[in-house]
Amino acid sequence: MPDFLFTDNDWTFARIDAVNEAIATIAENELQLDTYPNQLEIISAEQMLDAYASIGLPVYYAHWSFGKQRAIESGQYRRGEMGLAYELVINSNPCISYLMEENTMTMQTLVIAHAAYGHNAFFKNNVFFQQWTDAEGILDYLAFAQRYIARCEERFGIEAVTDVLDAAHAISRNGVDRARRPQRLSAREEEQRREERERYQEQQLLEIWRTLPPVPGGGTSGNPSHFPETPQENLLYFIEKHAPNLEGWKREILRIVRKISQYLYPQGQTKIMNEGFACFVHYHILHSLHAQGLVTDGTLLEFYASHTAVTLQPDFDDRRYSGINPYALGFAIFQDIKRVCLHPTEEDRHWFAFAGDPDWRRQVHFAMREFRDESFLLQYLSPKVIRDLHLFALRNEPDAPHYAVSAIHEDSGYRQIREALARQIADSTHPPDIQVVSVDRWGDRHLGLRQMDTDPLHQEEAQRTLAHIHTLWGYDVCLESGEFALCATTS
Amino acid sequence: MTTIIDRRSSGTRSTANQERLQRRVRARLKHAVDRMAGSESIEDLARGDSPISIPVRDLHEPSFRRDPEGTPWERVLPGNKEYQRGDLIQKPEGGAARQGREGSPDGMGDDGVAIVLSPDEFLDLLFDGLALPNLRKTAQGDVQSAQWRRSGFIRDGSPSLMHVGRTMRAARARRLALRAGKHRELEKLQETRNTLHDEIHERRRCGQDVSLEQERLQDLDQQIAALERKIRAIPFIDETDLRFSHIDQQPHPITNAVMMCVMDVSGSMGETEKDLGKRFFLLLYLFLQRHYQAVTIVFVKHHSTAMECGEQEFFGAREGGGTLVSPAILLMEDIVSRRFPSDRWNVYVAEVSDGDNYSADNAIVDERLREFMPRLRNLFYLEVNRESESDLFQLYESISQSFPGLVTARANAREDIYPLFRALFAAEEIPNHA
Repeated sequence: MPDFLFTDNDWTFARIDAVNEAIATIAENELQLDTYPNQLEIISAEQMLDAYASIGLPVYYAHWSFGKQRAIESGQYRRGEMGLAYELVINSNPCISYLMEENTMTMQTLVIAHAAYGHNAFFKNNVFFQQWTDAEGILDYLAFAQRYIARCEERFGIEAVTDVLDAAHAISRNGVDRARRPQRLSAREEEQRREERERYQEQQLLEIWRTLPPVPGGGTSGNPSHFPETPQENLLYFIEKHAPNLEGWKREILRIVRKISQYLYPQGQTKIMNEGFACFVHYHILHSLHAQGLVTDGTLLEFYASHTAVTLQPDFDDRRYSGINPYALGFAIFQDIKRVCLHPTEEDRHWFAFAGDPDWRRQVHFAMREFRDESFLLQYLSPKVIRDLHLFALRNEPDAPHYAVSAIHEDSGYRQIREALARQIADSTHPPDIQVVSVDRWGDRHLGLRQMDTDPLHQEEAQRTLAHIHTLWGYDVCLESGEFALCATTS
Repeated sequence: MTTIIDRRSSGTRSTANQERLQRRVRARLKHAVDRMAGSESIEDLARGDSPISIPVRDLHEPSFRRDPEGTPWERVLPGNKEYQRGDLIQKPEGGAARQGREGSPDGMGDDGVAIVLSPDEFLDLLFDGLALPNLRKTAQGDVQSAQWRRSGFIRDGSPSLMHVGRTMRAARARRLALRAGKHRELEKLQETRNTLHDEIHERRRCGQDVSLEQERLQDLDQQIAALERKIRAIPFIDETDLRFSHIDQQPHPITNAVMMCVMDVSGSMGETEKDLGKRFFLLLYLFLQRHYQAVTIVFVKHHSTAMECGEQEFFGAREGGGTLVSPAILLMEDIVSRRFPSDRWNVYVAEVSDGDNYSADNAIVDERLREFMPRLRNLFYLEVNRESESDLFQLYESISQSFPGLVTARANAREDIYPLFRALFAAEEIPNHA
C-alpha cells in the first residue's frame, strides 16, 4: 500500500506535483477524462481579487468597471462577507488553474481535482465550448486586445477610449451570435486583418454611405431596399460594420469587446453543468485517493466540510437563500445520472432510456458533452432530484394578491417543475432579444431597434443603454418594445 | 502534462483599473474629501484608512434587461415543506420587498462602492489645485544653495584629481589606434620579404643570378626595421591621455522646511480658538510636507512672554496674563538665526491669535516684523473668533503691502478653516500650470 501523499496540511510544490500525478492517474484510468495540458499557478489573495475583477481572465484591458468590481469585492472580502473562491480556471490551452497560496494542502488537492481535471475536461469536451470558444487562441488574443486598447489610450486619450468601452460593454450581452459559430481567434491573423481593414477603410472612406449615382433610365436611388434585409441580433457586430461615422479604432474596440463577449458566452450557458461536472469529478477523485490510501481520514473530513459547503442548497425561506445553487443542482444531477445507471428504480426505467446502463461513464460523458444548462435540465432533471431538493414551482400574476403554488414534487408536478426551471435558467442567461430592424440609410440615418420577445423591458435601463448606442451610432436611435418606444436623439 | 508556476511575485495588476475608477469619480471623491476635511480629524483622514463610499448609481453600467415587476412569471424554488399544489401565498406588502430582492444589476443592492484612498491619493485630492504662494514668484521656488558635484571628466586639472582608470583607457585607445596601421604595413612587408627570400633561395639553387633580388631584400629589411622602430616609439602614456575628475558647483534646491507655529495662549484664547488654530496648523503642515522632503515644526507659544515648547504643551497650555506679540517675533528671529539659517532652510511661520495685543506693542511688532520678513518664505496670520478686524490684523495688512509673503486671514468656525485654506493657496494665479 502506498504511503500518504501528505499528512500535515501545508502545501509545497513537491506535494502539489505528487498530488497532481495521482489525480491525473485517477482522472485518466477511472474517469477516462480527456483534458488539455494543465498549468497550475500559485497566486495570492490580492491576485485572486484581481482575477475576479476581470471575469477571471489572466490578461485584460484596463477599464474603470473592473476597478469598481475590485473595490466592491475587496471590500466584501475585508469585511469577511465573502470568502474567495478557492480556485479559478481559464478555458485555454494549456488550461490555467489558479491555486491560492492560503489554501491548505487538502484544499489544493480539491482545487486541482475540481478545476484542473473537472472544468478542464468540460472545457475540452463540451460541444458548446468546442464550437464557440477557441482555447488555443484566447491568451494571445487577450494580450493583443490589451495592447491595442493601451495603444488607443495613448493615441486618443483615456477618456475617449473609456466612452467607447462603456458603450460597448452596455450592449456586450447583445453582441453574441447565438445561432452562428464564430471564427477562430488568432492574435496574429487578427492583427493582420485589423491592419488590412484599416488600410481599406482609409481608402474607401464612408463609401457605403455615399449616395449612388443616378441609375440610367431615370429613377434615383430614392427607392432604397430595406436595410438590413433581415433583423440583426448582434448589435455590436452591426454597429461595428455599419455605423456611419465611427472611426476605425472605435470599430476595432467594439470588435474586441464582441470577441471576448463571445468567448465568455458559453460559460453563462453551462454554469450548472460545468460546476456540477467539476464537483462530480472532485468527489470521485477525492474518494478514490482515500480508498487508495493516498490521503488521510483527516483530509477526507476536511474535504467533506468544503464540499458540503459548496454544494449546499439553502431552502427558499433560509436566510442564506439566494437562488438555485448551480453547484448543488449540477452535482445532484450528475450523481443521479450515475445512480440511474448503477441502481435504477422502476421510476428511473420509466423516465430514462439509459437506466441500468452498466457503463455509467459513457452516460456521464455524453451528458457532459452534448448539452447546455437548459437542455441538460430538460433531459436529466429526475423526479428523485426534484424530491431531494423539494423543488416547487410558484406562479405570479401581477394583479393577484397571492402567489400560487403551481407544482410540487409529485407525479403530476415533475414535468412542470422541470420545464419551468429550464425556462427560468434560460431566461436568466439570455438578455432581452433586441434586434436591428431598420436603418434609414437615405434619410436621417436613424437606427431602428425592436424587441423581439415579449418580456417586459426595464425602461430606465433601456433608455440609458440607448444613450450609449447613440454615442456609437452617432445618429438617432429608437427602440420599439411592446407598447412603448424609446429614443435617444442628438440634441 | 502539467506545469506548476509560482505567480505570487508578479504582484497585482489592478493599478490601471483603480486609477481609471478614481478618475471617473474624481469629482465625487473630491467632494467627499472636502466634506471630511471640514468635519473629521484630518490626521485620521490623512492616514487613509477611512474608505470613501461612492454611490453605486454613479458607477452604474446599464444594459438591456428585463423588468421583473408587473409581469406573470413562474419560478422554481427549493425547500418545499408544506405546500400543496394550488396553495396561495400572500404577497408581501407593497411589492417593495420584491424590488429589494432583485437588487441592482450589479448584485450589490444599494450599497456604495467603498474606495479606499491611500494617504497620498487623499492628500492629492485635498490639496488639488493648491500651490504655495511664493512658489509662483520665484522660478524654482525654493531656496537654492550651491553644491560641489562631480560632473564628468576634463583633460586638465590638479594631479590629486587625476582619474587613473580613464587615463589608462585613453592611453590604451591611443596606442591601439597609432599602432594598428603600422602593424598592418609591417605584416605586409614581412610577407613580401619572406616570399622574396624564398625566391632567392630557389634561384640560387637553380644557379641563377640573384643580385637584384638581394638588393631589394636589403631594402625591405631596412623598411621593416624602420617600422619596428616607429612602433616601439609609441609612448605607453602621453600627456594627451591624462584625464581628471571634474567637480563643479551646481545649484541645489533646498528641500528642508521649517514651520514655526505661533499661538497666543493668553486667557482670551479658549478651546474653540485653539481648535481652529490646530486645524490650520495641521493643514499647513500636511501641505508643506507634500512639497518638501522634510518639514520640521517649531512651536512657539506666547502671552506676555514667548517660549518654545512641545506639541502637547502648545495645544494644552492655557496661561493668563496680557498679550504681547513682539516677544514671539524676537524669539523666532533668534531661533531662525541659530538653527535655521534662511539660506539653508525654507522658513514658514503660521501665527494664530485672537488679535489681542497690548497697543503699545504694535509699534515694536511693526518694526521687528519688517526686519524679519525677508528671512521668511511666508508668514500666515490667522485671526480667529473675532467680530471685527483687530488693530493687529490691520497692522499685518499694512505690512503685507510691502511684503507679499505675509498672508492674513480670519476664521470663526471649524468649517471655515478648510475653505479658507483653499482660498489662501488657490493656484488659479499660476498661468498655464499645465
